Amino acid sequence: MKTWWSDLDRILRGEATRLSALRRGSIEIPAGGITFVLVILAMFYGACMGSFAILKESGPSLWQLVASTVKVPALFVLTLLVTFPSLYVFNALVGSRLALVSALKLLVVSLAVMVSVLASLGPIVAFFSASTTTYAFMILINVLAFGVSGLLGLLFLLRTLQRLSLVVPEPETEASEEVGDEKENSAEVKSTGALEPMTDQILGRHVTTVFRCWVILFGVVGAQMGWILRPFIGNPARPFTWFRERDSNFFEAFWAALVSLFT
Amino acid sequence: MKSLLRRVDDVLRGRAASQPWLLVVLCGMAYGAVMGSFAGRAWQVAYSAAKVPLLLLATLTLSLPSYFILNTLLGVRAEFARALRAIVSSQAALTIILVALAPLTTLWYASSANYQAAILFNGLMFATASLGAQVVLARAYRPLVARDPKHRALLRIWLFLYAFVGIQMGWILRPFIGSALAPLRFFRGGDWENAYVVVARLVWKTLTR
Repeated sequence: MKTWWSDLDRILRGEATRLSALRRGSIEIPAGGITFVLVILAMFYGACMGSFAILKESGPSLWQLVASTVKVPALFVLTLLVTFPSLYVFNALVGSRLALVSALKLLVVSLAVMVSVLASLGPIVAFFSASTTTYAFMILINVLAFGVSGLLGLLFLLRTLQRLSLVVPEPETEASEEVGDEKENSAEVKSTGALEPMTDQILGRHVTTVFRCWVILFGVVGAQMGWILRPFIGNPARPFTWFRERDSNFFEAFWAALVSLFT
Repeated sequence: MKSLLRRVDDVLRGRAASQPWLLVVLCGMAYGAVMGSFAGRAWQVAYSAAKVPLLLLATLTLSLPSYFILNTLLGVRAEFARALRAIVSSQAALTIILVALAPLTTLWYASSANYQAAILFNGLMFATASLGAQVVLARAYRPLVARDPKHRALLRIWLFLYAFVGIQMGWILRPFIGSALAPLRFFRGGDWENAYVVVARLVWKTLTR
């Protein structure tokens, strides 16, 4: 258990994704342990998010706190489940060498970064929950927290991909020890056409494109998944429910909250 | 007392002072007491003396986790201890400057019983002290920035984060000065409204009137 937290620390410090550590084309991190840590951190943020409901004068709703604590980890896991199959299939289609497990590990590690940032913003969100009565403000600050952490997590993913594309796979001559720009350039010179896949690399240009598209998909699915799983914060004017009826979508509601803050 | 003065001197001259947070508590309490003496009520003095250090340290505590994770992600974790010391000594500098300005506040209170003017004057004192603390913080960060330019961006993020939390913290901890007409309370009663919402509504009302 303790090693899992130090693994998370290694990820955050960037030690797990150094070029030398990526030599095998995968991240040497126990995915199960990191997932456990990720769920704990997400539950912590969920509790901070749900604390708005227990501090209300109109009657505290402990169930909302419980619901949010469960829902935030569910949000991340479900979003990953929904978007991972398509990522893997397109990834394999464009000829990436990233195996199923490696791709999953890469995503779990990025999610861990995302959730760590989110959990670190938790105390601030809890403080605003305790000192605010305006529901719309709480929606906006939570969207902001998710936005910032999502941005940093996905940035981490793209940077790690960029590093993976610099790495040359292990089972070759000793010359492959020199990793970096020089090797990259010599590979460029050897290949005949610009559209030819670079076979001696773990990740080609297409793979990075697939991941970039996936990042957008992840953002949109994540936002809408959050909408489906709502309420997270708990509208003080409405009784507690586990889920709300199906209507509208995340982007429309976000705009409505922004407008209602002023009026 | 002598060691305390030496610590104050260390903070102001940018030398490493031991336990600068102690200065935040002591000097913060001193200025808070002066601030709360407006209506001449002993309890308001005690409340405000507790509130000023609480404002600074609670804001610091709430903002630190995010700043720590951000430092780690940007790969400057090794220097976080130095960054933290810089931040705490800038807080100490803020309270030291406030204490130095406290006689002016007393003079102001002695010469005017206008509550609104007292608020404005205290705002001015806090603004002055914040500017001074900025100088201390920038000076302490200079060697860090020289080693890694990422610290400059981090410092800006820190200031934003701290101000964002600090404004709301100051808002909910009101009253600091305590009007002679209002009843004596630790927290101002009524709705716990959010400072940003209040400002947004004010702006909106002004624009659409």
